[in-house]
Amino acid sequence: MVSSTAQPLIETHDLVKKFGSFTALNGVSLKVFPGEVHALLGDNGAGKSTLIKALSGVHQPTSGKIFVEGKETRFNSPRDASEVGIGTVYQDLALNALTSVTRNFFLGREMKFGKGPFGILKMNQMHDIAINEMAKIGIKIEDPEQPVGTMSGGQRQTLAIARAIYFGAKVLILDEPTSALGQLQQMEVLKTIKKVKQLGHIAIILITHNEIHARLVADRYTFISLGEVIGSGTSKDLKGDDIRRLMAGGAEVGDLAKELA
Amino acid sequence: MTLELSRQEADRHKPKGGLRAIISRPEIGPIGVMILLFGMLGYFSIPAAETTWNPFAGEGFNALGIRNNLRVISQLGIIALGAGLLIIAGEFDLSIGSMIGFAGACMAMTLRWGFSIIVPYLSFEGGAHLEFYTLFHIPDVSPSLAIFITLCFTLTFGWIQGFIIVRSGLPSFIVTLGGLFFLRGLTEVSLRSFNHRPDQSKGATTVTEIPDLKNLINLPGHGEMEREAAKYLPEADLISIVKGLPAETITKITERLEYTFQRVAGAKTDLMIAKGVKPLERALENALESNNEFMVKTIQEKITNFKIEAVVPKSVTDVDIARAYIDTISTVQPIADFFGGNILESIFDWLYFPIDWNTNNFGNQFAPGLYSCVMIWVILSLFCYIVLSKTQVGNWIYSTGGNLSAAQANGVPTNKVKISLFVFSAFCATLFATCQVFEVNTSDAAKGNLKELEAIAAAVIGGIVMTGGFGTVLGIIVGAFIFGLAKEAFFYIPGIDGSFYRVFLGFVIIASALLNENIRKRIMGNI
Repeated sequence: MVSSTAQPLIETHDLVKKFGSFTALNGVSLKVFPGEVHALLGDNGAGKSTLIKALSGVHQPTSGKIFVEGKETRFNSPRDASEVGIGTVYQDLALNALTSVTRNFFLGREMKFGKGPFGILKMNQMHDIAINEMAKIGIKIEDPEQPVGTMSGGQRQTLAIARAIYFGAKVLILDEPTSALGQLQQMEVLKTIKKVKQLGHIAIILITHNEIHARLVADRYTFISLGEVIGSGTSKDLKGDDIRRLMAGGAEVGDLAKELA
Repeated sequence: MTLELSRQEADRHKPKGGLRAIISRPEIGPIGVMILLFGMLGYFSIPAAETTWNPFAGEGFNALGIRNNLRVISQLGIIALGAGLLIIAGEFDLSIGSMIGFAGACMAMTLRWGFSIIVPYLSFEGGAHLEFYTLFHIPDVSPSLAIFITLCFTLTFGWIQGFIIVRSGLPSFIVTLGGLFFLRGLTEVSLRSFNHRPDQSKGATTVTEIPDLKNLINLPGHGEMEREAAKYLPEADLISIVKGLPAETITKITERLEYTFQRVAGAKTDLMIAKGVKPLERALENALESNNEFMVKTIQEKITNFKIEAVVPKSVTDVDIARAYIDTISTVQPIADFFGGNILESIFDWLYFPIDWNTNNFGNQFAPGLYSCVMIWVILSLFCYIVLSKTQVGNWIYSTGGNLSAAQANGVPTNKVKISLFVFSAFCATLFATCQVFEVNTSDAAKGNLKELEAIAAAVIGGIVMTGGFGTVLGIIVGAFIFGLAKEAFFYIPGIDGSFYRVFLGFVIIASALLNENIRKRIMGNI
């Protein structure tokens, strides 16, 4: 599945982002391919969030280039990014727990008869789409009228991912999707990620702290520390020890074990 | 060990069946209270002497009772819709009551004195002082223009409040509290300054003597005049009007008048019989108590032989026909009639003749119809129901109140939603005022006092959660019913202070708020 000959869906080249005198990103380059999960690993404050915000149009990079499907692109707003197919699923998922699955799925992009905001909703059609899209990535919802608040954390994650894909995301950025979830639900989310990967045409950037989760689904790794890439490679190239060492920001795990002992 | 994980997370959300599904619906509590109040109003309003299981036998649900109850309920219902939708979007409006006073005063003043725009400027001739230049003056303002001018003011004010709130991020409580004082003060100040005229008592904060626009008719040969004035034209004029009517109309009116006069005469006869027999019956009771058999016999004989000559019905004259005809002429001010007149008049006529239900103790027709505000409430409710549950805007309103940042992240124009709803709330207050002004033809600066809190209370009773994002239009309607019915029902409970309805509503508000919060938490997954 991992083929370096294919064209990357999204590619950054020497991305630099400075906030005043603080350098958040110092020349980050990475390539993300369709049908691949690219794990972005690093400690807190390493610059992962700044990187994904630059990719999703929230921040504009100070220098460096972003290529989408080989074309150089600039994002002035999150809308620009979502128009070229970059869908970001943030930790808070942007869901309204009090309304139904369908109303959340189509929030802000409702299907309706007639033009204008007073258009009548095509509820039945939206119900069908919401159920089908969620079923495609492995979650069966019986009742599309069910309030999102009554769903499990994993199901909510699936809803947010299905929504992003349905509305044209080719690059899916998942911001710590497994944090704050129970064990079973974490597995549920990983299964969902695997299903999305199997769709074949979507590139996934997975931000996580959890090495085990990354190893379960990722095809390619990029390790970031203090705003720079300190290592990258495919799942074949990297051994467990390498991953652990790079995740700790390059320190030898052996040393850490000694210190902790 | 092998673990079979055939159960899914979704299986934990089992649809409830049958009765449980009905009981766990959020509207069920309020609807129960509403039915209870219906029963209370029905039974407590039955006169003490009568015993019946029919709740519709009492004063609460006779034709006039229905007319008056529905007026209270629908007036509150109109503003509760504005307040409720705004609360669903996560904000609320304390200026509704003052807005009612302001809109009523604005409308009444323009109807009474006309509308002009006056520009003040500084003049230096004979010392610096302010001079006023009248840009233009419209002396005769039609109802529709008065409504339009008022809407310009109130909707702009609603927009300004909303704009300040979304731009500054200040809580709506404080901004609309400012609006509450500002508008009430402005209303009083302007009414006093306008009443500072020779033809009005100095400094009054009321507007009176507005012509009864909804009853303005065009009488052939006499021009436009008020209905009541037309009825008391010289008899010769009235008779000449009848001469000009087609025979069909005259027979119809005569038939109806004959029925009324018969009915009135019958009622009078019944009343006289009752008057004559009652003292005898009392005497009979006394006689029975004292075991005076002779007296008992005589009185019983007297009662059975009691006769009174039936009252002869008045004969129908041309003057009567003319007056009845004047009542049927439709108004030349349909807009005033639309807001302040009556609806369902033909049904209420039919209920009087031939059905004989809508009849008072004297044999006359009881209620002419329902107040127009009922129709306006129904139209507005229907509109709000469709917007909130069936349209894109509805979803935006729910998400704006339910999770503001999620709504924004999904491209919902939350600021526009909020500002529009502040404007809508001002619109509802203006509708309330319009109905009132055209109905009673006066306005008072104190109108609408505390209505903002009643509207919020009705919305909360109807299942709207104060933190936003949750509630239905059906709930708001039920809330208005509960509030209005409680007001009326407690009035009829014998030997009880009428203000107990407030005590009762206090309980209901807190109970509803607790229930709503419980439902919200259950949905949010915190329970």
